[in-house]
Amino acid sequence: MAFLAEILGNLGIGAQQALALSLLLPFFPLLLLINRRIRERGRPPLRPVPAYQALRDYLGEATESGEAVHVSMGTGGIGTAATAESLAGLMVLEHVAEHSEATGLESIATVSDPSLLPAAQDVMREAYAARGYPQAYDPASVRFISPDRAAYAAGVMDILGHDGVGCNVMIGSFGDEFLLMSEAGGRKEVRQVGGATSPSILPLLYVSVDHALIGEEIFAAGAYLRRRTLHLASLATQDWLRTAIILAIVIGVLARSLA
Amino acid sequence: MRRVFLPFTVGAKRSVPMAIAIAMGSLILLDVFFDEPHINDLGGFFVESTVIVAGFALLLGILNVLVVHVRRITKHEAGWPYSIALLAVAVVVLLAGIPGPESAPFTWIFDHVQFPLQAATFSLLAFFVATAAYRGLRLRSLESVAFVVTAVVVLIGQVPVSRYLTDLLPAAKDWLLDVPSTAGVRGIVIGVALGTVATGIRLLVGVDRPYSGREEGGQ
Repeated sequence: MAFLAEILGNLGIGAQQALALSLLLPFFPLLLLINRRIRERGRPPLRPVPAYQALRDYLGEATESGEAVHVSMGTGGIGTAATAESLAGLMVLEHVAEHSEATGLESIATVSDPSLLPAAQDVMREAYAARGYPQAYDPASVRFISPDRAAYAAGVMDILGHDGVGCNVMIGSFGDEFLLMSEAGGRKEVRQVGGATSPSILPLLYVSVDHALIGEEIFAAGAYLRRRTLHLASLATQDWLRTAIILAIVIGVLARSLA
Repeated sequence: MRRVFLPFTVGAKRSVPMAIAIAMGSLILLDVFFDEPHINDLGGFFVESTVIVAGFALLLGILNVLVVHVRRITKHEAGWPYSIALLAVAVVVLLAGIPGPESAPFTWIFDHVQFPLQAATFSLLAFFVATAAYRGLRLRSLESVAFVVTAVVVLIGQVPVSRYLTDLLPAAKDWLLDVPSTAGVRGIVIGVALGTVATGIRLLVGVDRPYSGREEGGQ
């Protein structure tokens, strides 16, 4: 152990970095291995996540009733600490954009951090361009509201109240402002799906939306909505690593208790 | 001639941003894990460069606000007078900010308009928590029963007078917060960490692309 620590020390890798590396290094080969296995043996069954099924249903209902769908990717942005959550929101937007393109459903996406704006516009534009209708893309369907959380919440509350929204999807990084938006949607009886990772926001999420995505569930959007092979492999890799972490915790507790 | 170059241009449209993203991501990763001055300097330079990119993104954001609200005004969509107010206020704040962020008109706007508005918006939370609790505390399923029981025990356990009723409630509250709640939060945090690593790796290998040319990614 001391020998390993010396080697890592000589490479300029500290204890925290070594811990992160121990999580990162096995991920990549395991991902490739599981991806190959899925390609050979077919896609594995996924445990049901009601929020993703509800999202599909809500999009269908909004299409039938001629209402719009609103997608919020949170108050985080790309290049910030909330990049992963923002990308999870973008993945859901991609699904909504393709559904909108195929069915004519009006979709409105709002962003708080300007770094998300070009990415969200690109997702919407490509959904239309992929089917050969780039002219059908409406640049105003993606709206930058404000980097200020209170102002962003106020802007979204206005959209939920006045733009004929029948389905509200809020997945990303949120603070207390989540409740302002979800309650505005709840009062208008808008069908809502929410997802966040911050433990302090999860109780607000649970009580204020119809279906909640708790913690890591938001990162599974690619596997559940898009059914992409590499996303399925990524999900399985996460499960394997989670099992390894649980085993490590149990062994650590036993070793410490018995020592 | 166009036939010859089209595949190259389409390919370049997809591969160039992906190559840049992979190269930058790998470099920043090396910067995080290794203590090598050249890599650290280069990594630091690119991290600082994101501030400049973010500045340009903000300009795009302002342009987007203008497009959305000018269109709302010209088409007389619902609430168009508010769009006029928004654009007028934007111009006023822009003019007030020209001498600098420390100028008297600019700080006055922040102290007397921006902050009170922020405080007023967030003060709504008190009422919204009450209505959310009313809707959320309905017994819809076994899960919601557990939620309601936990919420009631913790709420009563927090109140000092609960100690006069019975010692069990504060003890139950402490146990709920220390054991199941902490365990749940740790589980969520570990899951989120794994999800974040997975997202990062998918981005690094070009499966997830928050930029042009994603239609073939990840299949």
